[in-house]
Amino acid sequence: MEIDRADGRNPNQLRPLSCSRGVLNRAHGSASWAQGNTQVLAAVYGPKAGTKKNENPEKASVEVIWKPKTGQIGKQEKEYEMVLKRTLQSICILTIHPNTTTSVIVQVVHDDGALLPCAINASCAALVDAGIPLKHLAVAICCCLADSGLVMLDPTKLEEEKMKAFVYLVLPNSILSVLPEESSSVKGEQMEQGLITSVTHGVMSVDDYLHCLERGRAATSKMSDFLRRNLQPQLSSDSSKAG
Amino acid sequence: MEQRLANTWRMTVNEKKFIESALVSGLRVDGRNLYDYRKLSINFGKEDGSAEVHLGQTRVMGIATSQLVQPYRDRPNEGTLSIFTEFSPMADPSFEPGRPGEFAVELGRVIDRGLRESRAVDTESLCVLAGKLVWAIRIDLHILDNGGNLVDAANVAALAALSTFRRPECSLGGENGQEVIVHPPEAREPLPLIIHHLPIAVTFAFFSDESTLVVDPTHQEEAVMAGRMTATLNTNGDICAIQKAGGEGVPQSVIMHCLRIAATKAADITVKIRDTVEAYNTERALQKIKRHSAPVALDVSGTVPNVRKNQVKSEDQREVSGSVGTQVEKLKPMNERKNSDQSNDIEETSKFSKKQKESQSKKSTQQASPKGSAEEMKAISPATESAKIASQTHGEKTLKDAVKPKHKRKKKAPSAVDGS
Repeated sequence: MEIDRADGRNPNQLRPLSCSRGVLNRAHGSASWAQGNTQVLAAVYGPKAGTKKNENPEKASVEVIWKPKTGQIGKQEKEYEMVLKRTLQSICILTIHPNTTTSVIVQVVHDDGALLPCAINASCAALVDAGIPLKHLAVAICCCLADSGLVMLDPTKLEEEKMKAFVYLVLPNSILSVLPEESSSVKGEQMEQGLITSVTHGVMSVDDYLHCLERGRAATSKMSDFLRRNLQPQLSSDSSKAG
Repeated sequence: MEQRLANTWRMTVNEKKFIESALVSGLRVDGRNLYDYRKLSINFGKEDGSAEVHLGQTRVMGIATSQLVQPYRDRPNEGTLSIFTEFSPMADPSFEPGRPGEFAVELGRVIDRGLRESRAVDTESLCVLAGKLVWAIRIDLHILDNGGNLVDAANVAALAALSTFRRPECSLGGENGQEVIVHPPEAREPLPLIIHHLPIAVTFAFFSDESTLVVDPTHQEEAVMAGRMTATLNTNGDICAIQKAGGEGVPQSVIMHCLRIAATKAADITVKIRDTVEAYNTERALQKIKRHSAPVALDVSGTVPNVRKNQVKSEDQREVSGSVGTQVEKLKPMNERKNSDQSNDIEETSKFSKKQKESQSKKSTQQASPKGSAEEMKAISPATESAKIASQTHGEKTLKDAVKPKHKRKKKAPSAVDGS
């Protein structure tokens, strides 16, 4: 059964993606990521000396500041900050610069559904722009479940509100390895099969969840190709931001 | 404590001396003349009332929103305007999240005085029910990048956001006329604010050598300067606000000179703001018209049955699915990707979405008979989305329409405008 999406996409179609890096001058790294009408601007200030009181000083720490478009900072923003922080901590190599803080500041430019995945993608691109050492990249996607059991990818805000449940998934980037045979495996499973973060809203059965996971994984392979191509070093002069 | 000191940016003595000695000879580090502004560009976001201003390297985003609230006791007939400035930590490593520093508070006050106390926005028109409900306009200014001269950039962002903001139309109903019904934007076209004049802020920086003054200081010049002054004035010759908070003392003649320069600069910036706002408004009107679109003859062969299916399917079709052969950067995991390289730049995607709208509107006319499309042109005037929906369903029945008597079709025009 076909559900008609308001903008004419089919359930497996993502909105047009666009990513620009190096958009800000003062920040050490910055990126703007847009998925359809949802647009997020992320800036990274590279390792600053010192960690906060309750952080482990033997490792680098990541600090996330989420700025909503309008209004005061509330619980929703704090939740986003926490999810983003934990996700980014798992992709950064924390042992390289101990006792430092890397700040990631996220500014919501426009929210039209799938805001947290958009922000995660933007932060990841900004971290690369700043040159922070990462283990691998992360791609985030939102899958929603309609009442009929149909799984749709990348919903708009109206669709998100109508759905029975939706889940934000963050998966590691697909691996492009120089050595064809060796691929890092954890306990026999491929690393590409791993899942970094999953945040669900609403009620969904286990089968539906696994179904969403599969669909999300298929979509992210294309998304990570886009990300990889976009992150190729630009030939135009990238002036040093250290000053 | 040492960590915070380690993280602050300090200007080296060499840089400081270089800037100062260059200024003595009338040269600025970025090659401008002493009284020149940097390049000002204003871009608008997807919603009404959101604007992003680039002044050289400084970047500020302004967003205007509205809400119905109770008015202040001493002003029961007037709406309110409030300005919130956010010094986002992304703008400068020294901006810390949390409580605004004294500079942030000062900037907020200067813009507030220039905009609100000079009564640039007509607040009496914001009254809905005297003493009970008025519109409160809230402007959020997010400083995204600190390249110097935040006051001027933030001011322009606030003005641009206000000029393109549209508030929902509301009407009184109910038994005593005491109930307020707020119409959603699809039902009735939202209204712009009434802005009497545009107060423009112009900032001057003074240096320790008395005769040197500079307009629109950059971030490095601000670190070197000895004093600053901001003059907010409009093109009617009114001075809305002057702010000179401490710093180096300057003689009166210099202040008068500054005000004269500020008057010319304000005129330039006002023209620029007005032009960009007008361009935005025409484009906005055009976008609404394009959905009903112009009768353009197109190659219909082979794609007609698909297009008909699309029209019947969706009402608010902005992105056409790949089967109709336009250039779309959707990533389909099952099908192959098309042209996603071109989506690397945000501007490109907006061009593409325009193309999509154009091609989609062209398709909608393929369905309509020539008479039907002429009818749609009539129904355009304040083309609301419901009018568009009505015409799309109108489009669905076009084959029948060709047969319908003329007087019935004319009735559709006023009903579409009312949005019933």
